[in-house]
Amino acid sequence: MDAINNLLMGFGEILTPFNIAIIFAAGLIGTVVGALPGLGPSAGIALMLPLTFGMPEASGLCLLTGVYMGTMYGGRITSILINAPGDAPAIITALEGYPMMQQGRGAMALGISAFSSFIGGLFGLLVLIFLAPVIASYAIYLGPPEYFLLMATGLATVMLLAGDQIAKAFLVTCLGVLVSTFGSDYVSGQIRFAFVPELIEGIDFVAIIIGLYGLGEVFYNLEKRVKLNLGKPGFRMKEFIPGKEELSEAAAPTLRGSILGTLIGIVPGAGATVATFLDYALEKRLSKKPETFGTGNIAGLAGPEATNNAAVPGSLIPLITLGIPGSGGTAIMLGALIMFGLRPGPLLMTTSGDIVWAMIAGLVLANVFLLASNVLLIPVFVNLLRAVQGNLANVVIALCVVGAFSLAYSPFNIWIMLIFGVLGYLMKKNDYPTGPFILAVVLAPLAENYFRQSVMLGQGSARIFLDRPISLTILIVMALILALSVFGQIRGKRRARQAAQAGE
Amino acid sequence: MTFLSKAASIAAVGFSLIGAPVLAEGFPDRPLEFVAGYGPGGGHDTMLRTMARLMEQEDIVDVPINVVNKEGGSSAVAMGYLNARKGSPYHLMSITSSHIATPLTSNIGLNYADFTPIARIGIDPELLVVNASKGFESLEDLKAEGRMLNVGGTATGSIEHIVTMQLAEKTGMELNFIPFQGDGEVVTALLSNQIDFAITNPGPVSDYLSSDKFKALAISTEERVDSLPDVPTFVEQGADIKISLFRGLTAAPGISDEERDELIAMVTKLFETEAWQKEYIEPNAVVPLVVTGQDFADYLGETEAVYRETLGELGMINN
Repeated sequence: MDAINNLLMGFGEILTPFNIAIIFAAGLIGTVVGALPGLGPSAGIALMLPLTFGMPEASGLCLLTGVYMGTMYGGRITSILINAPGDAPAIITALEGYPMMQQGRGAMALGISAFSSFIGGLFGLLVLIFLAPVIASYAIYLGPPEYFLLMATGLATVMLLAGDQIAKAFLVTCLGVLVSTFGSDYVSGQIRFAFVPELIEGIDFVAIIIGLYGLGEVFYNLEKRVKLNLGKPGFRMKEFIPGKEELSEAAAPTLRGSILGTLIGIVPGAGATVATFLDYALEKRLSKKPETFGTGNIAGLAGPEATNNAAVPGSLIPLITLGIPGSGGTAIMLGALIMFGLRPGPLLMTTSGDIVWAMIAGLVLANVFLLASNVLLIPVFVNLLRAVQGNLANVVIALCVVGAFSLAYSPFNIWIMLIFGVLGYLMKKNDYPTGPFILAVVLAPLAENYFRQSVMLGQGSARIFLDRPISLTILIVMALILALSVFGQIRGKRRARQAAQAGE
Repeated sequence: MTFLSKAASIAAVGFSLIGAPVLAEGFPDRPLEFVAGYGPGGGHDTMLRTMARLMEQEDIVDVPINVVNKEGGSSAVAMGYLNARKGSPYHLMSITSSHIATPLTSNIGLNYADFTPIARIGIDPELLVVNASKGFESLEDLKAEGRMLNVGGTATGSIEHIVTMQLAEKTGMELNFIPFQGDGEVVTALLSNQIDFAITNPGPVSDYLSSDKFKALAISTEERVDSLPDVPTFVEQGADIKISLFRGLTAAPGISDEERDELIAMVTKLFETEAWQKEYIEPNAVVPLVVTGQDFADYLGETEAVYRETLGELGMINN
């Protein structure tokens, strides 16, 4: 009950015209920033930081968390409309959303994903409100061995993203691992493959994503002269408000995505992107029609969208209860807390509880505003796209170039983007899956570092993976899943054989 | 730099010589970027964000200041980042001992002399911190464990690493150093007892020390410090370790002397404010010994010589 009283107190703090206006504006700004390829949550929060100087603490923090939440809504828009993920957690959204767009169901894809984003965000917030301190005190018991196993599980989903192209998927995964090793290695401080000084930092994977998906798609479409099926111009609600059928198809995946996103959001170091990959794999595994994934499957769209939004409140849990940031976005939030003169750490909720609860209340409000504005704005987005369709390639290239430049404010990333744009085009033309490649680029360096830290913690022995109870549990679950799926396949084959014999 | 802005900055220096404002008018005329070589929540990050906030609050600059985190590679990533901004006076990077150590222990091809040293802010001691639930009270208790202990710190070749290796050498303990990415990860690892102790600056752990979740067993200063009067020095406990971290600022390579002097004037003005003393120096137990410009460059040269020797003894020099 304390939680409810505190939350009401928080609402009391933020329900002023100024704060409501701030929260509303924050959601919109976040949506736009998220939609622009290259600008993600970290960039959005960082850009807003100077605006918060001189604001009361609660208003400033509401602005920042509202932008953070807004980027998760925004990232999906460009993913669905032009196949250029606005930020990393929206990569998966493009896999199902863009095919829907090509089939003329783009508005529906935006509608469904807005609803599942809302539910995901709401679920994460409820956990944040009622269970934050309890969960956070357990989340810290996850260390490098558990993170490594989590990343390894993520990498295993390559097989699910591969479809029928197992050999090609394996090849591009290896290429992804190679690309991810560029730059300095923080465990040893050694530098790999830095042919030019800019590469000391490694290759920014957002530049890779923009090139691979955004630019690659443009090159491919130029050749094919693809025309998007945008349907007739119209603003009818039923084009984008999901009906009973769509909702029932999206309901269970949304709930699963919400739970998974919140849990992985809480774990420091994993983050929303990893969560969406895992959720997509889960949905494909559970689906009765896994072959429809990649062609506009609603479950594959709704689940990961709920996941990335649920990860936002999830990642705030270790931040406000322990002072530990679990993602790029919360890392900048941590800086903001320090700037406001608050001391993030175990005492934050005790010493500055009023401000923290006002921020949480602000997030609840932001989530409601974001659902409303994102649903109502769908006709605007779709018709805007219709208006520029003749020049879509130019618009996408301009967005990609600006996005790549803004990563480090240097032209270097534009070259990176161009290289991966050509690679993306070649991959698409020759039917190589891009999902496994990007998964390897994102996860391989994390897996590598956590593995080395684990073995160092084990003083040179890999037994540490068996000695730690949580890590052992994860290993057993992984082994069980493997055994079950192998068993299932054998049984499936036997059944097929029996059926064939019976039919003879 | 265009002719016009060059002319403007020369004129600006002229004005400041005449005496009116301490800072040249017109600089900085663009948003500044502060570069932290380690993750958010750590010593670099907290310092730069406090600097940014106070510079705006005290009206030292009227342009926005962005703090960016370029973590990884024991600060090599941030050095690469700053090196790529040759000639830009709008970037300031926080540096500590890793700015000297990393070029010695790895192959990055850059060192302190490639950049433009601006100022040393002060000296930051190292603490040996344990989780209070383990019941360790002194260095002797750790030694009595009689097994190889896991030690957490921020980077390979960092001052934390050197303190750990000296501790092993001087007490005969078997220590296994594990580099984590940022102070936040070190704190998590110590909270959940994944490591036996951490070597860290006071800043990231002060909240945990005051709430009695952590206990500091030793400090690397020559004498006890006022802010932590109950923490004995390593020397008191028979381990002759007196290495402290320096905290400083450096700018991009290839900026003009005028630009360097403007940056020095800007930060010096901040260091003289009461707010800086109250909100950074005191809570972080930093000993404020400021040196600027060429003096700071000389200090860095001397420090490098010391490191070259220590790291060489430890077999860590890599080039």
